[in-house]
Amino acid sequence: MKNAYLWLAQLVTGILVAVTLGIHMVWMHLDNILSALGIDANEPTSWSSMIQRSRDIVWATLYIALLAFVLYHALYGLRNILFELVQSRGIRRAVTWGILAFGILAFAWGTYVPVILLIK
Amino acid sequence: MREPHPKRKNYLGIMGWIWGGNYRIERYLYTLHRVTGLGILLFFLVHLCVTTFFRMQQQSWEAAMEILHNPWFKLGEYLVVLAFAYHSLNGLRLIIQELGFGMGKPAPPIYPYRDSLRKSRRWSMALVGTAALIALVFLYDFLVGG
Repeated sequence: MKNAYLWLAQLVTGILVAVTLGIHMVWMHLDNILSALGIDANEPTSWSSMIQRSRDIVWATLYIALLAFVLYHALYGLRNILFELVQSRGIRRAVTWGILAFGILAFAWGTYVPVILLIK
Repeated sequence: MREPHPKRKNYLGIMGWIWGGNYRIERYLYTLHRVTGLGILLFFLVHLCVTTFFRMQQQSWEAAMEILHNPWFKLGEYLVVLAFAYHSLNGLRLIIQELGFGMGKPAPPIYPYRDSLRKSRRWSMALVGTAALIALVFLYDFLVGG
């Protein structure tokens, strides 16, 4: 039953990633089309534009949420693939703990940097 | 060669991603879903490093961005866009079908057999078509210099 909920969470985070990453992709890559529609993305990869977004609580929240959704969705998917390839219970346990530890570390680091930039 | 475990004698491992038998298009959509998923994960890890380690100083950020504006990296970024367009739309199809929607009513197995996925194949085609459309919109912006 636990696995059913973990799988359901992957479906839900999948939809949330599609929405949040969709916003990120459109903002970063469709700046020409956005400016034709009257929305100024302000050269999204430039330092000034990046800092401007970093100081905006809405963007910072969006990025941190995206990070959490992506990490869960991707690492759970990776765990599924690895579980198909190895049968040993010990290795599976090591995979679970390794992935969990990596996910927590990546989330901590990926949250620390935008929070520092937000309050600086 | 080691004898396979009796319960897993039909187990194909990664080779099964490439060829699992005479399967329909959904089997290959599945392979592509895994490959694009792993590709996006790999990009994401590099992307997370670049956008956090080079973000504290203007100089290092601009140096990193200059490297990433190289046409080969642009091509790589476009591949990530393609992978995202495919993975998200195929994922939507999987969610709809795995939760049991759009599968049609069960029917007795009389020849010629009909599988329930085939009834929703036009939806699969529509999703692939939408992914191609999104890919073209992004291609336009990449070409005009996004």
